[in-house]
Amino acid sequence: MTNESPLEYQRFNLTLRIQHVILMVTFLLLAFTGWSLKYPETALEHAGWWIRMWGGPKTAGQIHRIAGVTMVLDFLWHCIYIAYALLTGKMKFHPSTTIVPLPKDIMDAVQNINYFIGLGKTKPKFGKFNYIQKFDYWAPFWGMAIIGLSGLVLAFPTKAAVLFPQWSVNWIWELLFVLHSDEALLAITYVFIMHFYSEHLKWKNFPMSMTWITGKIPVEEMKHEHPIEYELEFGKNKGEDK
Amino acid sequence: MKGFFATVFLWFPLLFFAYSVNAETCLVCHSAMTGKVRTEKGPFIELNIDETRFSKSVHGGMDCTMCHKTYTNNPHGSPAGEVSKNISGLANLISHKVKTDPLAYASCVECHEDIYKSLSESIHGKNIMEKKEKDGPLCLDCHGSPHYIMPVSSEESLVNKWKVVSTCGGCHEKKDLAEKYKFGLHIIEKYNESFHGKKHKLGHSGAPTCVDCHGAHAIKKWDDPASPVSWEKRTETCGKCHKGANKKFVAAITHKPVGKDNPIPFYGEKGLIILTAATLIFVIMHVALEIYADIRDNVFRKKEEPHD
Repeated sequence: MTNESPLEYQRFNLTLRIQHVILMVTFLLLAFTGWSLKYPETALEHAGWWIRMWGGPKTAGQIHRIAGVTMVLDFLWHCIYIAYALLTGKMKFHPSTTIVPLPKDIMDAVQNINYFIGLGKTKPKFGKFNYIQKFDYWAPFWGMAIIGLSGLVLAFPTKAAVLFPQWSVNWIWELLFVLHSDEALLAITYVFIMHFYSEHLKWKNFPMSMTWITGKIPVEEMKHEHPIEYELEFGKNKGEDK
Repeated sequence: MKGFFATVFLWFPLLFFAYSVNAETCLVCHSAMTGKVRTEKGPFIELNIDETRFSKSVHGGMDCTMCHKTYTNNPHGSPAGEVSKNISGLANLISHKVKTDPLAYASCVECHEDIYKSLSESIHGKNIMEKKEKDGPLCLDCHGSPHYIMPVSSEESLVNKWKVVSTCGGCHEKKDLAEKYKFGLHIIEKYNESFHGKKHKLGHSGAPTCVDCHGAHAIKKWDDPASPVSWEKRTETCGKCHKGANKKFVAAITHKPVGKDNPIPFYGEKGLIILTAATLIFVIMHVALEIYADIRDNVFRKKEEPHD
């Protein structure tokens, strides 16, 4: 039993960390500048100084557009990067490390909530990504696709209009207005509740998890939080050493 | 009172030397007088003229008698000015709406003939002058008191960019008028919810208000081909800001509330509200339960995390 597992495990490589930082910065900029347009009723009260802080409505609009395009590019970069890694075999699909939702995740969620409320004695064993982390990934993934596309239409409405079929023009604009702002509200409230709790406020992570900077997770923590992945990575080595 | 005596004291000598009926002459009394007086036909008129506001207004350089050409039943001697047919004709057209002094009201036409002409051809003007209704705006309903009209660039002007929406809303949000003339009650509300309205509220000077698209004095009903927002002219009107606007683009703004007759956005919005609410309920409950379990495990159980 002399096997020495490292103290930390590399969870995310540099590329993914950079993609996450760009996403974080653009998300905050978009949320901050977009909020006053969603709720301008309060423009004379708090949104007044709020919109001035972003340089007034015109500058805020420009920040919003630049941040939006940057986020879309970041999104595309991520998609191409993942597709490339999968195609070249640098990244392999494995049920224990995948971000793709599987039936197990539903069972995990039920078991976890049962554990929370005391109905179950054991926590579920998670792979590399637990069901909340998968949600954390796919919620913005879907959000970026919807908000990004509708945002592009709203930023270039006369050009987008050329692409719309005639039968859609009586509802598509209203739908896009609603989609862009309501999806954004969902994304903002989700991130500020779930993501903030998981990565900042949670007992073990307070004041924040360092994984987004270092990309590493302490192996001790990995053992508890991602036991299936731990076994996959270190259990095999143990067997080889013997 | 001090002001009154001072004004009288200052101007009294001048009146002796250069008696002429100009604004200053009238203001000697009317800047100091307060209260209202009943006119022959019934309505009360305000006696006081705020000299400072009047002199700052666009008409501050005018003499009172340029508009108040004749008056009867009052302590003044009536000025013997000629009243042109233009003015008296117009005064007749509006006398059912303007009770106090239609002649003075109609005097605007003397300098603003082109505006009066486009107003009389507009939906507002026709309602008053042809249908003889009292509803609908004449000059002062939008511009405020004739004595204090400010340039449109001034924030004090009721038709200033930042005030004109609520000025239009003064009538267009009125339920009884909406029923009588069958216009939508949600026009202002829908404008405020639109990107144009929201940007306007945030102080974006490039965002259009009512008059930028619908026109002002010559305003027509939207389906009148002469209206700038008619389907015939809408691409041109939107194209003033949105270069390359086409028919499919100009369908974006209607001011119509989204109802069941437009099911995709109507139920789409309902669906999004349900999705948002459901997600938030799940997320908040999950976080709350996790906090509860974390505290329980770390404070009360204080043991290794159980795994299978």
